[in-house]
Amino acid sequence: MKRLLVVDDSKLMRDMIAACLRPLGAVTFEFAGTGLEAIERVALATFDLVVLDLNMPDVGGVEVVEFVRSQAKLQNVPILIVTTRGDDDSRSRVLAAGASSYMTKPFAPQAILEEARRLLTERAPA
Amino acid sequence: MTDVDLQDFIGGFVAESEELVASCNAMLLEIEAAIGERTSRPQAVRTLFRGLHTIKGLAGMVGVEPIVELAHALESIVRMADKRGGVMSREVTDVVLRGVAAIGERVEAVANERAVAAAPSRLLDEIANVEGTEPAVSLTPPVHTAWDDKLSASERQQVYAALERHTPVWTVTFAPSDERAASGITIGTVRDRLATLGEIVKIVPRARAVSGAAPVVTFDLLVIGASADTLETIGLPLEAVVPLAGDNIAAGSPAPPSPTEPLAELPPEIGRGDVAIAGRTIVRVELERLDELQEQLSSLTVSRFRLEREIAALHQRGTDVRTLREIAEQQTRQLRDLRRAILRARMVKASDVLEPLALVVRSVARTSQREVQLALDTSDAELDKAVADRLLPALVHIVRNAVDHAIESPDERVAVGKARFGTILIRSHEAGGNQIVIEVEDDGRGIDRERIAAQAGRAIGDNASLLDAISGAGFSTQSIATRTSGRGLGMDIVRRIVVGELGGDLSLRTARGRGTTFRIEVPVTIAVVDVFSFICGAQPFVVPVSTVEEIFEIETMRATQPPARSRSPIQVVERHGRALPLVELARILALPEPRPGSKALVAKRNGELVAFAVDRMLGRHEVVVRRIDDPLVRTPGVAGATDLGDGKPTLVLDLDELGAYARARALAGDAS
Repeated sequence: MKRLLVVDDSKLMRDMIAACLRPLGAVTFEFAGTGLEAIERVALATFDLVVLDLNMPDVGGVEVVEFVRSQAKLQNVPILIVTTRGDDDSRSRVLAAGASSYMTKPFAPQAILEEARRLLTERAPA
Repeated sequence: MTDVDLQDFIGGFVAESEELVASCNAMLLEIEAAIGERTSRPQAVRTLFRGLHTIKGLAGMVGVEPIVELAHALESIVRMADKRGGVMSREVTDVVLRGVAAIGERVEAVANERAVAAAPSRLLDEIANVEGTEPAVSLTPPVHTAWDDKLSASERQQVYAALERHTPVWTVTFAPSDERAASGITIGTVRDRLATLGEIVKIVPRARAVSGAAPVVTFDLLVIGASADTLETIGLPLEAVVPLAGDNIAAGSPAPPSPTEPLAELPPEIGRGDVAIAGRTIVRVELERLDELQEQLSSLTVSRFRLEREIAALHQRGTDVRTLREIAEQQTRQLRDLRRAILRARMVKASDVLEPLALVVRSVARTSQREVQLALDTSDAELDKAVADRLLPALVHIVRNAVDHAIESPDERVAVGKARFGTILIRSHEAGGNQIVIEVEDDGRGIDRERIAAQAGRAIGDNASLLDAISGAGFSTQSIATRTSGRGLGMDIVRRIVVGELGGDLSLRTARGRGTTFRIEVPVTIAVVDVFSFICGAQPFVVPVSTVEEIFEIETMRATQPPARSRSPIQVVERHGRALPLVELARILALPEPRPGSKALVAKRNGELVAFAVDRMLGRHEVVVRRIDDPLVRTPGVAGATDLGDGKPTLVLDLDELGAYARARALAGDAS
């Protein structure tokens, strides 16, 4: 069973992302509504994939990525950034900070599913 | 392959967008108020930006392009304001308000499944042009070495301003752990609790290096305004509370972060009770689903009646039904509880309904050049969403009139010794008997009875006759309204909604020179029913859609009518190869000049179909039904009354009872 953390300040967006990723099969979803909660969750538990929004109250996605990558134990957790167009300058920042992949909302359900599957399988043999 | 259709999320999109639009409006009003006070609200600007950004993202996912376009344009000018220290000019605020209103209209269109209008190009142009006119703000000064590189310009401005005012600023540290999370204490709950004490400017995570162990994180929260006492007594397990450099900040020499004593960690039990409150989760549900539940409940009630009849029949046949009775009684109680639970789920807070009126006050005050503030005193009163939706237009009318006509111009007010700012106070509280009272009080000039009397052409005695005079449909012409105190405008509509539609009570008190209070008392809940309306014997009637199986033309089928001109109100028509009893509704209702109807409504009664002939169909509506439960007034066949929007009561017919009545009359007629 894979553990996924979906981080977005919009409940609806979290629901939509989970609906898109449910076809992955054996996965459990956990949710966080802010960057802070995300950091707390990844610090306390182990996830196979983090799907992360950039623009959130308190702490943004870039800081979440910076934190995750600063932790030796979390170096290899795949992070899929899902964000709204307009955050273009954040794109290079967040990839530089160590995000694994980047998608722009709106995305097609199939596109995010394939990307998540790729990130999960790439990591699986390790 | 995925079978996900994002269109399934349209309902959620509407609900969340409505909330975001409301939040954006609230932020804009706050920002505007700050402009008046010559300060800024960086936090509000940031929240506004995030709101617009989220709306844009969601609208993109469900494919509502005009909203994406509007939100994108607005977002870019608000982003600029944020980057400049959270300063937004009146001009920008105004354009953004209009832009948010345009988004709101489009969300409503989505909600009502109407076509969504394209983003208005003139407004988009205005948004684009206002961009360059933003006044540049001087660079914000550094506040503290530990924080400077983590804060945005507007956040630094915020902290700097606080320190300048000698408002305490704290660095609060929290370390999450599994145990704390298990007892409900997470960074989320800590943040929410601290936000009740002061303003949280920024939270940053700090990784703590612990060799070999699992990653450890602590959070530093930068908080403005909380007192040391409240931070100590809040009952949160905080690692440290450190004051940020105070007085000499302006001189540019930040004091070193003097580590004060870490607060003793409190046992988790202390926090627990509060956490339960903070952890109250809210699920939004479409009203339609609750209606569905209510309908299910109605059919459950019907089968419960049938059960009772059967038990009575068994009892008559001499069966011991004590246990069955007990179960049935228990079921009655359970049904009642279930009904209550469903009604509670439909309730909204009165404050949520009344808050948007601040926007009305603002826009009317601007156009009529008044200075008015809206004050709310709403307690915890709640009301049915269906009541709230219907009541809001009436409240808008009253508030609009108050700003437009009752509140004097600022100079006039000062001249008579009043505050420059007029105040409109809206109070709401629960009254007995499942009613809610909403009062709208202004401190304006009051209503001039003599003038109203002159206009109405009759003497005005008490407040009730004054209300009658200003609520007359003939009174609501604008010329009269503006020459008098203006109370005539739209008051007939207010009365129609409050009294006619909701079955409530409307009254007023007024004192010359001191102001006017309108008092509305309406039921907390109402029954909304989907009905067909039709004409029968020159009068309109309605029947619930759920009781009608079919509607058909009867003109051509008259031939099958039995040749004998019996006086029986029941004839026979053929329908789908079956003989169907046809009741002339006009005759059953003893209406004057009954004519043979041309349309037939088919209802099912005890499994048998009965057709009712009516003159013509009018349409289908959602109406509020006021049930007639008083046994003295109750007439068989009439379930209640409603208002189709013409201000006159229209009867809601119960076809089931009418069918039974027609049969009884037919039998009596045959016997005679």
